[in-house]
Amino acid sequence: MPSLELTVRALEYAFYAAGAFFFLAGSVGLVRFPDVYTRLHALTKSDNLGLGLVCVGLAVRSGSAIIALKLLVIWLLVLVAGATACYLVAEAARSAGVKPWTREAQR
Amino acid sequence: MMTLTSLRRFLVRWIVIAAVWWIISEGDGSSLWLGALVALAAAALSMSLRPDGIPGLSPLGALRFAGYFLVNSVLGGVDVAMRALKPSMPIDPRFVSYPLRLTDVSARVLFANTLSLLPGTLSAQLSGDTLVVHALDCSGDVIGEIAQVEERVAGVFGIALAEASGGAV
Repeated sequence: MPSLELTVRALEYAFYAAGAFFFLAGSVGLVRFPDVYTRLHALTKSDNLGLGLVCVGLAVRSGSAIIALKLLVIWLLVLVAGATACYLVAEAARSAGVKPWTREAQR
Repeated sequence: MMTLTSLRRFLVRWIVIAAVWWIISEGDGSSLWLGALVALAAAALSMSLRPDGIPGLSPLGALRFAGYFLVNSVLGGVDVAMRALKPSMPIDPRFVSYPLRLTDVSARVLFANTLSLLPGTLSAQLSGDTLVVHALDCSGDVIGEIAQVEERVAGVFGIALAEASGGAV
């Protein structure tokens, strides 16, 4: 049935588009946010969601359970690595005495 | 000397890591012998880095946590994307010190990493019994939200949390 295939295809691309949107938003945050700590927020959280959405799209495309499972494992491994790297960068910045940006200091 | 408990831990880690290899290789059995060897080395390294096991595991708590994590990591991504894209860039960041109720190291690591992926919070420093968290917007009840995440993490390991001892700053 071609209409079903079309629906699945549309769904797949909707996930890619949503994933790309969050990667883009994370990159915008990286440029716009004022200091290392706020930039880490942008990177960890939007990339987590962006990669998750791309993985869901790929899983839909594959239509295979083992590949879907593999994509899930890849997502989880990247999450663990991302959150750990994020902690290490934040801790190194704090230990080096990098002052956090605050809204009051701007007024 | 290797006790029976640490032998069991070693075997469990070996099996879990080998299973990850098996999934990554898409269930292809032909490379499993290599995977088993690499997993053996990884399990040995894991035992030397952290010989202690986890305090327990509640399957129901883990399942609840997975659902909670999935929903909130979507909210976390949407939240930070909105703040980054809005022209006014509504952020009001601050460090908050959170007195940890979790005592187990594995539970603390899961807690700290989870916080970094949930809306508005980022773990910055774990020293003693205090976790320093960077909050992207301190206008809400940040401490209350952090405490909620801690309870979810405790649920994964089937740990009951005591009342918070110190006041939060």
